Amino acid sequence: MANSAIAHQESFISKYIFSRDHKMIAKQFMITGFTMGFIGIVMSVLFRLQLGWPGEKFWINDLLLGSWANGGVIAPDKYLALVTMHGTIMVFFMLTAGLSGTFSNLLIPLQIGARDMASGFINMLSYWIFFVSCIVMLVSLGVEGGAASAGWTIYPPLSALPEAIPGSGLGMTLWLVAMALFITSSLIGSLNYIVTIINLRTKGMNFMRLPLTIWSFLVTAILGVLSFPVLLSAVLLLVFDRSFGTSFYLSDIYIAGQALERFGGSPILFQHLFWFLGHPEVYIVLLPSLGITSEIVSTMSRKPIFGYKFMIGSILAIGGLSFIVWGHHMFVTGMNPFLGAVFTITTLLIAIPSAIKVFNYLTTLWRGNIIFSPAMLFSIGLISTFITGGLTGLILGDATLDINVHDTYFVVGHFHIVMGLSAVFGTFAGVYHWFPKMFGKMMNNTWGQIHFWITIVTAYGVFFPMHFLGLAGVPRRYYTNSTFPMFDDFVNLNEIISMFAIVAFIGQFIFIFNFLYSIYKGKKATQNPWNSNTLEWTTPVEHIHGNWPGEIPEVHRWPYDYNKPGYEEFIPQNIPLKEGETQSSH
Amino acid sequence: MENNLSISNYRFSENKKALEPLLWIGLVSIIMFFAGLTSAVIVSSTNASWKMFSLPNTFLYSTIAIILSSLTYQIGFMLVKKNNVIVPKLLFITTLILGLAFIYFQYIGLSNLYQQGVYATGSQSSNSSSFFYVLTVLHVVHLLFGIISLGVVSTKSMMNKYNRDNFLGIKLSLTYWHFLGLLWLYLFFFLTNMMSN
Repeated sequence: MANSAIAHQESFISKYIFSRDHKMIAKQFMITGFTMGFIGIVMSVLFRLQLGWPGEKFWINDLLLGSWANGGVIAPDKYLALVTMHGTIMVFFMLTAGLSGTFSNLLIPLQIGARDMASGFINMLSYWIFFVSCIVMLVSLGVEGGAASAGWTIYPPLSALPEAIPGSGLGMTLWLVAMALFITSSLIGSLNYIVTIINLRTKGMNFMRLPLTIWSFLVTAILGVLSFPVLLSAVLLLVFDRSFGTSFYLSDIYIAGQALERFGGSPILFQHLFWFLGHPEVYIVLLPSLGITSEIVSTMSRKPIFGYKFMIGSILAIGGLSFIVWGHHMFVTGMNPFLGAVFTITTLLIAIPSAIKVFNYLTTLWRGNIIFSPAMLFSIGLISTFITGGLTGLILGDATLDINVHDTYFVVGHFHIVMGLSAVFGTFAGVYHWFPKMFGKMMNNTWGQIHFWITIVTAYGVFFPMHFLGLAGVPRRYYTNSTFPMFDDFVNLNEIISMFAIVAFIGQFIFIFNFLYSIYKGKKATQNPWNSNTLEWTTPVEHIHGNWPGEIPEVHRWPYDYNKPGYEEFIPQNIPLKEGETQSSH
Repeated sequence: MENNLSISNYRFSENKKALEPLLWIGLVSIIMFFAGLTSAVIVSSTNASWKMFSLPNTFLYSTIAIILSSLTYQIGFMLVKKNNVIVPKLLFITTLILGLAFIYFQYIGLSNLYQQGVYATGSQSSNSSSFFYVLTVLHVVHLLFGIISLGVVSTKSMMNKYNRDNFLGIKLSLTYWHFLGLLWLYLFFFLTNMMSN
């Protein structure tokens, strides 16, 4: 410890603000991402009030939305802004940066046995660019005309013509600026993750000894490097259309009877470019959670992960396939039916590696000595949502079925369960599991369990009924469905969904309280509180920049030696093989 | 392994062995960026309003300039590795001049297009001309970073900072420069094929 102090003196600013220590940057990503997530969830509760009780006045709208909800009722155009910003914030700022930024930063150097990321400077830069992008996105809420309102997918022409709708003006411009910054942050972060994993593994840590968390972070980062630049190109062309008079996405458009001078482009082009990122983005959000779950399920079942090599193969297969399925988001754009069939096949192929992962989770749990910690509960919750959401994915992946429910609440229910809930559950699991590593304290177990049960019951209460709304044809993104008599039967269902959403939101305060309380008053953590095998638990409880005070431990085995017949209950990766001991079969 | 040094010997500066892979993966992301844009060109070229136009010869001159610059840079680098520190200085400066010449020819080429009535934006522009301007300008934007790195390499070379044991900076800059040359060759042939009549 004394050595570390000599080697690396840090000021308050270099330690807590412009830190290059991956552990501190992980915390920065977490706090910022979670704050954005909280704002995104508040937005969803507010527009759920409108959907549950259309036209009713709510004092909370007056309090939080001000002129967006004169008299306590959200204005229709502001409803669209809320929906757009909710989607943007949750998908990108919470579930991409908040999740991947937190756990990739925290765990990559610790689990591969590295002092820090390949470039501490780039890592710091990645966070601060992300922070600025958050600020720009939030500022866009307060500009004239309101925030972007074209949906989180910002399809042109609503996003390409500043005069299209109120949110298409400055709000949309700031959305694009924020996203350009976000993409930059995400790209340089991903570069750093990949290079660190490839170059800085400790002695003995070959690829077949990497924890599955690291494999999932690696593939996630590769997906980011390959797909975010394409979104950047799409956004850039959109900026040219908006501000410089090009017409990449503008076809023959008439505004108030007047033909637009610029023409010749195609809004469908934007959809192709957007979804080339958009679908891998699903896995950029999901894979880290699946990796976290793999680690926790094995540790808390006290069993080796079942089918380690197949798990790696599945992660790679999911990552690879995610680049050739984007067309399933565009089945109703007039796509050639043959092409639709191709995208159907490639989409349904993803079910195979996904099913392998689920099978392996369940077989790892089977006959395990399961410890139902909050982290384990949320991991099992993820397995549940991955199955239920995945099953409805089969319907949406098939062109002939998708066309019937396209742009309905069926889609909303599906992606919130398979992507949203799975990723959120993975995030919670990760926080509960690695909280001792982050803060040197333990979170309260009982409050964690209560938090889990409230969350899973209410989350299903919100999103499961949406499938029925969708099957009945209720369209998404509408301000109100009360003016359509055919949807009258679903008024009560919408009320119930909104009630679940409110309870789910209130339930998250248990987590917030537990989190904050435990940082200050939580029980002090031991070095390896979960009796886990991975390297992060060999570092001291008190953080030091450089992670290990002495030499970095050498790795001698894979990370899942739990209850190995004839040996200890768990054997950390840095323990050499005993005489006569063979490497565990993967 | 630097990574396995005890913490008292570990420097929290950038990890040198990671710089090369950082650059290579960064290049992959640039490839994807231009792949997105050029695939957009392919999709847009099927529209009825797609117009062809004539490319001025200056784009050929710029292409020759960037090919020559790659050669001079490569030869300079090879000489540094042989511990020749005099000739590379001249070659690096030549590369810098050729790089600036490339930008100059691109500017003249785009100006000629403008004078021909091939506009980047506005009601008289077409998608093909807009794409042409966007792609060439974005390539130049990337090239500016190469010019900056060339400036640094040239300056350090003048100060005799490089020799056969210390050439990582040149290697990184050279890799990026070759990449930009190849990228332009791809863009040049692609754009000629898609837009030039």
